[in-house]
Amino acid sequence: MSELYVPSPTHGLTGGSVSLQDIEARVLGAFPEVTADVVRDELTLHVAPELLVEVMTFCRDDEQLSCELLADLAGIHWPAGDHIIERQASTTGWPEYRVSREHGAIEVNYILRSVTRNHWFRLSVATPDDAPALPSVTGIYKTANFHEREVYDFFGVEFTGHPDLTRILMPDDWLGHPHRKDYPLGGVEVDYKNDKFIPPPNQRDLREVVD
Amino acid sequence: MAIDPNAETRTDARGTRADVKRDREVELYVEGADWETVVDAVEDETLTVNMGPQHPSTHGVLRLVLELDGEVVNKLTPIIGYLHTGIEKSAEFRPWVQGTTFVTRMDYLAPLFNEAAYSMGVEKLLDIEVPERAQAARVILLEFNRIASHLVWLATGGMELGSTTMMVFGFREREHILDLFESQSGLRMNHAYIRPGGLAQDVTDDFVQRCETLLELLPRKIAEYEDLLLRNPIWNDRLRDVGHIDAQTCYDYGITGPLLRAAGVPWDLRKSNPYSGYEQYDFDIPTESAGDCFARFLVRIEEMRQSMRIIRQALDTLPGGPVMVADKRIAWPSQQSLGPDGIGNDPEYIRHIMGESMEALINHFKLVTQGFTVPAGQVYVPIESPRGELGYAMTSTGTNKPYRVHVRDPSFVNLQAADVMSRGHMVSDVVVVVASLDPVMGGVDR
Repeated sequence: MSELYVPSPTHGLTGGSVSLQDIEARVLGAFPEVTADVVRDELTLHVAPELLVEVMTFCRDDEQLSCELLADLAGIHWPAGDHIIERQASTTGWPEYRVSREHGAIEVNYILRSVTRNHWFRLSVATPDDAPALPSVTGIYKTANFHEREVYDFFGVEFTGHPDLTRILMPDDWLGHPHRKDYPLGGVEVDYKNDKFIPPPNQRDLREVVD
Repeated sequence: MAIDPNAETRTDARGTRADVKRDREVELYVEGADWETVVDAVEDETLTVNMGPQHPSTHGVLRLVLELDGEVVNKLTPIIGYLHTGIEKSAEFRPWVQGTTFVTRMDYLAPLFNEAAYSMGVEKLLDIEVPERAQAARVILLEFNRIASHLVWLATGGMELGSTTMMVFGFREREHILDLFESQSGLRMNHAYIRPGGLAQDVTDDFVQRCETLLELLPRKIAEYEDLLLRNPIWNDRLRDVGHIDAQTCYDYGITGPLLRAAGVPWDLRKSNPYSGYEQYDFDIPTESAGDCFARFLVRIEEMRQSMRIIRQALDTLPGGPVMVADKRIAWPSQQSLGPDGIGNDPEYIRHIMGESMEALINHFKLVTQGFTVPAGQVYVPIESPRGELGYAMTSTGTNKPYRVHVRDPSFVNLQAADVMSRGHMVSDVVVVVASLDPVMGGVDR
């Protein structure tokens, strides 16, 4: 536990704001390997797994960034292959989107927030989905404990250095990691009275292609 | 009862002290023997006790494993997942608009906040601006929902400390607010009323009148609660100097909302990152410096008053106009007439799609069966829920369904701090600590 903290008037929106460009320049100045993009006014910093702890410690301790909060930590599974189907833009008018991946990846997004300077940005880390492993950041932010357990539970990412990496939301003896895109929907054996298997939901028939 | 499973000769359940192997860790099972023999068999005084998941003070199915030294808590481990319903996964298999009916069931005491944050995420991905009337109506409903949520917190918290009067009072006033929600959305809870692009229906004619009645009633009632509790010696003894947590620890554990404000940090996303037109309204962020359970009580009471200030201003400046975006690719027209029961079909619109325009019919059919598509990308949308920062991290791949919806639920994050808050306190204080965290298990387990 930390030492007793005395609230000072410098806390809560009074640290002076920093623009997203300045944040980007600050981090990229310290870590040239990091790449950044700004989409929809959201700054995303793409960090290699081996740099993650270093970059996050820098973001927390740096005077300009001073990210006191790790607001969120979540995974996304991007399987290999041509899984995301191209959509025709003929009637809806939205831009079309097509992704084909050679290697599957699990992307973990860390939302870092500064209370004193009122900004937030995203650290994005990718790890291969066949043997996902990332360094734990519980040593930097204690709040990462539950979040990392959730990502382990749902995606199977091994967070090395986590004090207690166990399942958190699924039962302890559950097999598989249900938020992965290759995890089957339905067909899971359960103790129903008359039926041992849940039929796969027919919502899957509602194709991802719209037009 | 005192059995060492590792012992080479396993004695019967009523084995005496000599039967327990001393050189190994003693594992104890309570099987109805004399308590004296249990106490004798224990070498260190630490006792591990399971509390929940079925326990009236754990707000649902929260399980706490307490390591006790006598009556003092050495360690508290929250165990969650009993209410996991896979909402995040289910949302990936439904059109975007149906997601609102899922997410509203997460934090069921603040359903409108889930809907609002989800809808704002979709709107940010779509890059659309919600009409002003819908924004103002959202603010009014959200603030009423905040009051209702705090009332439940006050009611259940009071009940756990033996104040059943407070429980009845809190639920009584909350029911008035739920009546307002019901008159608008048709449902007391799980409304699915705030939709991507605006609101499901325009607010009804008597909406303002109902709000006025509530705004007249609630200040008197909140003053009543303060009369009941503020100088109540039991309430003071149980809440003061219990569950203390300072601002730095809050940061460390990612704690936001009333807990952070009770630790002296004036942090509120409505002020720092205004959304849905909060920048127009004049309100204060209540803070306390003590950081204990009593400070959280004071903060929440004052937040209810500030919410009413916001509602007052929003009602006075409630603009006219539509409550849904005009883009026909996203929503069908919002100004449809309703039956006396609040539902029903609009003859004008039916005539248009059935009799006048084939394209309108096709569009309507596709909108209903497939939903709209959302441009690819990912967003993170945080809003200030009654429990802290409620964040929606949403990813779209350009299809009619979300690729991933992750919810940063404040209850989930705040619950981790129950350990540091209750260490060194008595078992009875654990109840107070958990109540002051105000976790909603629907949100924790999702």
